[in-house]
Parts: sequence; C-alpha cells; structure tokens
Amino acid sequence: MAEIVLERLAHAYAPGAPYALKPLQLTWRNGGTYALLGPSGCGKSTMLNIISGLLRPSEGRVLFDGRDVTALDTGVRNIAQVFQVPVIYKSMTVGENLGFPLVCRGAPAAKIKARVEAVAERLGLAPILSKPANALTADLKQLVSLGRGLVREDVAAILLDEPLTVIDPQLKFDLRRILKEINEEFRLTMVLVTHDQTEALTFAEEIVVMNHGEVVQMGSPTELFERPETEHVGWFIGSPAMNFLPALLEKDRIIVPGTDLSVAAPAALPQGNLKIGFRPEHATLSPMAGDLEGKVTRIWFEGADEVLGIDWNAHRVKVRVSGTSPARIGEAVSIAVPTNRLCVFLDGRRLHLG
Amino acid sequence: MRTFYLSLKYLAVVLWSAFVIFPFLWMLSTSFKTANAVTAGAKWLPWVQFEPSLAGWQSLFGGVGGINIVKPYLNSGIVTLSGSAIALVLGTLAAYGLSRFTFKAGPLGNGDITFFFISQRIMPPIVLAIPFFLMLRFLGLLDTLPGLILIYVAMLMPIAVWVMVDFFNSVPRGLDEMAWMDGCAPVTTFVRVILPNAVPGLVVAAMFCVIFGWNDFFFAFTMTFTEVQLLPVSIVALNSSVTPWWSLSAAAIVSVAPLAVLAFVVERFLSRGGLAGAVR
Repeated sequence: MAEIVLERLAHAYAPGAPYALKPLQLTWRNGGTYALLGPSGCGKSTMLNIISGLLRPSEGRVLFDGRDVTALDTGVRNIAQVFQVPVIYKSMTVGENLGFPLVCRGAPAAKIKARVEAVAERLGLAPILSKPANALTADLKQLVSLGRGLVREDVAAILLDEPLTVIDPQLKFDLRRILKEINEEFRLTMVLVTHDQTEALTFAEEIVVMNHGEVVQMGSPTELFERPETEHVGWFIGSPAMNFLPALLEKDRIIVPGTDLSVAAPAALPQGNLKIGFRPEHATLSPMAGDLEGKVTRIWFEGADEVLGIDWNAHRVKVRVSGTSPARIGEAVSIAVPTNRLCVFLDGRRLHLG
Repeated sequence: MRTFYLSLKYLAVVLWSAFVIFPFLWMLSTSFKTANAVTAGAKWLPWVQFEPSLAGWQSLFGGVGGINIVKPYLNSGIVTLSGSAIALVLGTLAAYGLSRFTFKAGPLGNGDITFFFISQRIMPPIVLAIPFFLMLRFLGLLDTLPGLILIYVAMLMPIAVWVMVDFFNSVPRGLDEMAWMDGCAPVTTFVRVILPNAVPGLVVAAMFCVIFGWNDFFFAFTMTFTEVQLLPVSIVALNSSVTPWWSLSAAAIVSVAPLAVLAFVVERFLSRGGLAGAVR
C-alpha cells in the first residue's frame, strides 16, 4: 500500500527517439482506484511497466511513499500485476500459484498457508485450491493472478493491464465488482489500464486519459464527462461521443451558423479553428422551435433509452432521449441544448469561459 | 461419401505402414538366414522358404567370426546418455540466456551467437577431427569414455541450443515478468517457473541429442583405438570380404531398438499436443 508519485517522468525507447511517454507529473493516492484510459499505443502500458519496474524511465523519478524506487528491481518494489492474457504458473496448483510470491520472499510455511487460505476464501477459490492452475477458465486464472497480489499484505499497488479483455461479458461484470470490493476492503492502490471507457468510468475514482504518449486529462468520471479538456476526451468518453459542430466568431458571440447555438465569446479570443460541442445526453427534443433543426436518419434502441441520429448540414448530431421517442425516421425535429451545457473548443482544446 | 473417404484414409495409412514396416520385417527375416538363403533370391518366410539359423545372432555375442556386442552397447549407452544430458543442461541454460537477455559483442548480437552455435553443425565433421584429436591427446583422453563424452557434448549442444532457443522464444515473457514481480530471483524464475513449462521442448531436444549421439560413427571411429569401442564401430567390425548380411541385420535390429522405443514414447507426447509449437 503506497502513494505513487511519478515525478517529471518521461520515456523514449532509444536515445533521440520520439517520446513514447511525454513528460508528466502524477500522484496516485494510497488506496485510490485509478484508470489509465486511451487507445492502443498511447503509452498506457509503457507507464505501467515503468511503475512495475520492468522498464527504466529515460527521464524523471518514480516514488513509492516518498522513496525513490526508479533504480530498484521489480521484485523489490512489491508490485502485483494482472496481465491482459492470463499468465499463470501452469505447472503448479491454484494454491501453489497463490502462495508463490510468499515462497519467493521466504515466508514461513505456516504463514503462507494461512494467507493463501484467507485469500482463496475471499476470492471464492477455496474449493479449487488443489486443482492444477492450467485447467482453469480465463476468468478464474485472472482471479488467481489477482490473488497473487493480495497474499502480500504489504503489496504497494495492484496494476491491472486490461485484465478483462479476454473475459466473457457476464463474468466481466462479476470480476469488476470483485475488484471494486477488494479495493474497498483492503484499501489497496489499484491502477486499471483499459481502452474501454465503461470499464474506466465504473471502476475508477479518477481517470487518466492518454493519447499519443501524453496525459490529456486527469479527473473524476463526472469531470471528464461534463468538462472534457480536449475534443479527444469528449469524443473518447461517453457513448455516443460528444457532438461537435463547426463554429465561428460573430461580434461578441461564438455561434454555429444556421442554428441558435451560441456562447458569449471571451474578451481576447486567439485565432483558430472553433467548435461547439455538447453531450447527446444534454440535448432534448423540443416541440417548439429549438436551437437546431434536422432530420432523423437513424434510431438506436438502447433499452431504457433511444439514441436519435439527426442529420444537419452534412453533420450527424446524436441525441439521447429516455423511453421511446415519438420521432420517426425521416421526420424533421428540433432540439434544444441549455447554454451552460455547451463547450467551446479552440484547435481541439476547451476554452474556459467565465 | 464419408465412409468412402474414411476407407481411403485407412488404405493410405495401411500402405504407408507397409512401406515403413517392410524393411524391418526383411531385416528380421534376414537375421535368421544363412549365406545360401540370402543369395537364393527373395525368400522371407522361415521354415517355409528357408531353414532359420541363429548364426547371425550368435556372431553378435562372441560367436564364430563375430564380436561381442555387449560392451560396445553399454559404452554407446553411457556416452550417448551422459553426452546428451550434459549438452541438454548447458544448452538449455545458454538458450534461456539467449532468449531472454541481450548480449552484445561489438556488432554481434544474440542472433549471431545462436548462429555461432548452430554453425558448428554446418561444417563437415572431418574438419573437426584433427583439432578434436589433438585436444583429446593433450588432455590424455584419447580412447577413453570421458574423452568421447566431451566430443559428444560439443557436437550435441548446438542441437539443444537450437531447439530450446526456439522453444523459450515461444514461452511468453510475461511469465518471467510476473515471476520477477512476485519477487523471484532470475535463477529461481528459470528453475521453478520457466523450466516446468519447457518440458515439451526438453523432450524434443533430448530426443534429437540421443538420436544424433547414438548414431554417430565418425567420432566414435576417429577418437578411439583399442580400449573403447562404441556400437556403430563394432558393427562395422563385423564386416568381412563376404558381407555377413545375417549378422549385420541382427546388429541393425539391436541398435535401432532403443531409438524405436524412444520414438514410441516421444510420439505419445507429440500426439497429446504437448509439443505444439515446439518444433517448426
């Protein structure tokens, strides 16, 4: 259990090569749940490997509870990691797998037995302790991997590198619940790497969104949803993604021409490509003349909700309505968005308006 | 239609089996013949077509004009097994290092080192005969079992390295990394985590080593004089101006027997899928 600080950390795989991880500064509180969210190849795994010590960063320091561990070996850091593809000691039983980290650290046999039994009990692995680990299903293997972290009471952090990718949807849900419960029970620092926003949003207290080796935004799920710092975050978080419409400055307002969507412009606005964005969840169908009029071209059924695809000027705007909407495909509709829900982006970055 | 294909398949298997088994049956029947029966054309049913004789087999165990095969047989066993075992241990360690760690010697890297091992099997063995001879003479190990074992280790290790590098490359690195994270030292990681997963590869490597070692004639012949004799050399010693097909056949059966048993055992491993990806 530790607070993890990444201090002016950056990494390039070869001297002079472009950064795989651009300089960043992060603090992970002890006992917090974090998610690293971003598309493949954005530097998530590089960051994870630096924390676990499999990779030595080319710049900056890694601190565990204030102690510089940058040069320490993986084993000494006392980190546990669950990998994307279940990695398991095939030649051992479930129990031996769970006990292995303690065996490696030379713990007394009685203690190992007690810890293994406790962890197996907690994870529901007790009935299969003596089974060969190789025979387990993927989700159980991931549980065993997790268990190998939990047997060490002093484990600094548990790193989860897309651990749910190969798991069946139903079991995914269970496993995510178990992860959450474990975190609450043991107050372990947990970092989940994922490219699945639902996973990130439901698991983590704080989400680090990454793109092209850069930390784009770090914040709570609500923050990311309500106030995305960049167009990329708006597009990446939320399903469907944020709507973006081209905007321009007219007198003292930023407007989307041909609509009533407009925001008061700040005093000094630099030149650049302007866009106005809003969440499908924040728009409503308006029976009277709304802010924007378009034609319904698609309707996605999503259980309690429906998502309408509305075409306007060669753009498709999505609107989430609860229940079944009266709108039909081909029908012209009008939508309204409260002004305080509109975000303005200049060259891909959100403008902080008053 | 399905039965038709199935019968075709069985027919093919039967034909192929006949093709493979026939030489062995021929060898077996020849080993019980005498000179006359051998030269009298294609006859192979004992008692019906020819009168069986034990002369061929007797000549393997100190019979008239023969040899005693027991000592060379044991020698071959000792040299092959210890040579293979040592080559396997050294080769596996080397292969793990080459698969997991990066080595640099000037412009040369891991691939070059691996090839350097394999390249020893590329040149004809005759090239090595004189250096090996001089080295063994220097060590005073000419015409001794330890000397032969040394040579066999040198000749078999490249095979072990070759097979095992390929195998370790197919064992995911994540396994090593996980063990390090669990607090395992590199040596413990190798012994307790990687090696148990490498058993199929070890079986294949061991099989190749044993086959190559057991069948070697060249070094068995050039590095020995009178004290130590290995099986292939002693079989050649059976030969005379009139080729004794009967005793040669008996000797061939005896020397191929252990390899046949080995093939059966390993085949079990292969068919269980345990070796998937072990040999390409």
